[in-house]
Amino acid sequence: MSASIEYYCPCLAESPHPPPPHLASSSYSFHPLHNLYFCEECDAVRCNRCVLMEVSGYFCPNCLFEVPSASVRAEKNRCARNCFNCPICRNTLSVVASDPEAGDGRMSPVVSTTLGEPPFFLFCNNCRWDSAEIGITFEKPTGLAAQLQKFEDSAPEALEFEHLKEHFEPYLRASSSALPATAAHSHHHVNPITAAASSALARDVPGVGKYNPLSRSRVGRDKNAGKQEIPDYKSRVEIGTLGALGAGGGNSDVEFMRRLEDMSEVAKLEQRWVNSWTASLRSSDLKPLRIPLQVKKSKRCPACRHILIKPEQKSQSVRYKIKLVAANYLPAIHVSLPHAIAAMELMKRSSTLNKSLSSTVDDPSVSGLIPGKTYAFHLAFTNPLYDPIQVRLKKVQPVPVPSADADPEKARRVPFQVSLPTAAFGIAAFAEAWEYEDEEDMFGQDDDDLDMDGHGMATKDGRGKTRAVGVVERRANTTVVSGEVIITKEARGNIRFNMLVSYTYRSDDAEPAEENEDGTPSRSHAVNKAPEMKNFSFYTVVDLGAVVRREGSRSELES
Amino acid sequence: MNTPVYYQRGEYIETDTGNKVSRRAAISGPQNIILGGKTIISSNAIIRGDLRRTGPGHAVVISLGRYCLIGEGCILRPPYKTYRGVFNYYPMKIGDNVHIGANTIVEAATIGNYVEIGKNCIIGKFVIIKDCAKIADDTIIPPNTVVPALTLFAGNPGQIVEDLPETTQEMVESQTKQYYTRFQPYPN
Repeated sequence: MSASIEYYCPCLAESPHPPPPHLASSSYSFHPLHNLYFCEECDAVRCNRCVLMEVSGYFCPNCLFEVPSASVRAEKNRCARNCFNCPICRNTLSVVASDPEAGDGRMSPVVSTTLGEPPFFLFCNNCRWDSAEIGITFEKPTGLAAQLQKFEDSAPEALEFEHLKEHFEPYLRASSSALPATAAHSHHHVNPITAAASSALARDVPGVGKYNPLSRSRVGRDKNAGKQEIPDYKSRVEIGTLGALGAGGGNSDVEFMRRLEDMSEVAKLEQRWVNSWTASLRSSDLKPLRIPLQVKKSKRCPACRHILIKPEQKSQSVRYKIKLVAANYLPAIHVSLPHAIAAMELMKRSSTLNKSLSSTVDDPSVSGLIPGKTYAFHLAFTNPLYDPIQVRLKKVQPVPVPSADADPEKARRVPFQVSLPTAAFGIAAFAEAWEYEDEEDMFGQDDDDLDMDGHGMATKDGRGKTRAVGVVERRANTTVVSGEVIITKEARGNIRFNMLVSYTYRSDDAEPAEENEDGTPSRSHAVNKAPEMKNFSFYTVVDLGAVVRREGSRSELES
Repeated sequence: MNTPVYYQRGEYIETDTGNKVSRRAAISGPQNIILGGKTIISSNAIIRGDLRRTGPGHAVVISLGRYCLIGEGCILRPPYKTYRGVFNYYPMKIGDNVHIGANTIVEAATIGNYVEIGKNCIIGKFVIIKDCAKIADDTIIPPNTVVPALTLFAGNPGQIVEDLPETTQEMVESQTKQYYTRFQPYPN
């Protein structure tokens, strides 16, 4: 379906207004509803880009072992059991045993041991790479990472990294203990590591100025007094001599490339760049990789630091101890274009059932929007709260699309006009019972007491031929309203416009609603008796699909 | 949102528990297949319940949960291997609310609940797919791969692309239930 809707997350921006939807960059601010969170304390929408993430547990994505955080560091964030990735295709490697005896392969009826014969090696099911090719074999099929550990630890890059860590550790410790409270403003003060890095950069790269935060802020001045000077780090291995260590570079690579017969002999950049050092070009030098660990994340509100997402400890559990998602608070909106649905149904019927349809569809194109036409669109609002809500819509005026070289008169014109229902409309409360009913209109739910607008002049003549702007349909906790879009002849691209949705929740004081209020996700603070109104607004972007250029229409080829 | 997906009344057989099985699906060894209820098996699907473990007695070869969809032209085949010199088939278990797209071949050992598998995928032998995972269209998952919970896999060989949102379970549940209600015989 071409029409879609996304919700705006302000991401702590000062201005509450969303960016105009025709800008490509605006897509970063809009998200599908189910990707958003909701902070009850701040009464605000949060998204994955603005929440604070914390690691709540590590696990290996292959063996699903939950790695205690204490050993994650020692194991260098990778699985320390039997899990390896293929260096060629990144598939998971499996451990296989050697054939029992060469010669009588399938004739031997009894296999002596349960696990096959040593030596064992790693084998890729996908690209048929095996570790015996590069001389890695194992005496026993378990604890492979431990068996490989000694090679790994003695590798020059691993040693170098250890030295680097040793060199900087005391300074890191000193800086973190000296400034524990200002961690949030760490970019303001002079971290000794930053200073050392910037002086090294200034020395090695001509023309790079030394980074001096004092010129920007005065915050770090007193901290700077106690700053220690870090002595320069001396590498154990000179970069120039790496070629001698078999790590590639220099004339040996030229020689290798000259004699190249098969492209697959060269390791692709993708295969090499996970290495921490310059690696050999030869794909035969690639080693199996221990599988990187994955994490489960808990998420916090960036403003008030309340937890929004807290997963269960078990790595493969999909349940959450805390889960504050926007889908439980904001009404879900579904956009549809009646003309497209009607056209699609017509096609389906005529193709599969060979039945002529009495009503004709005025639009021959299936789902595209044709310039110069007027279309109705439906917005189905579904209320997730256990209380009825009142919704009011307001469009944000579409901005003219600036075209590069069209004449300015034309460019200033708005490419389309949207009319939305202006009156507020009600949506009935969510009730668990509706989850289980099969016939939608079984419940003759009359929520007319909420129907304040009154002019739901929806004329449902035939399927989806409503041309009116207003409420079209109500059933259960869903209300469908209709809007209209007039597309001018100059329109092109996607019809996207911003829409402000405000909804008012009203607590019904007549019912003894207090006791079940705490458990429900409704944001009623209705301990008092008076009917309290709460209001919440959010922005959305509605995308009605692309404008199709009708063939044979006037030629606007200058675009 | 709620547009019905019609089928010709005679094409599908509906069981007491609400399973809808196409007459044009090839189902071998039905006595070894368990359907959880409200599960749809589309036309031209092939389900090999006859590839059972050797040995006497009753053996469940393929079990499917509730609200599953086996797309058109799918092949479900239990995985096999030779272990200690004995060739054998192993059972395949598929959880609830699992949708499998058209023309996908599945030889997995276990598929959890709320899993979406796209079109034209190949799920290799003894693959384990955990709850709420998603396999994109045209993905090849090599044998013995493990797909962790709440991850999206894509590519050849299938790799982790991203984590899925926390609301995946609710979304897949409502989608699969909705699909079942939308899937109805054509009213004459």
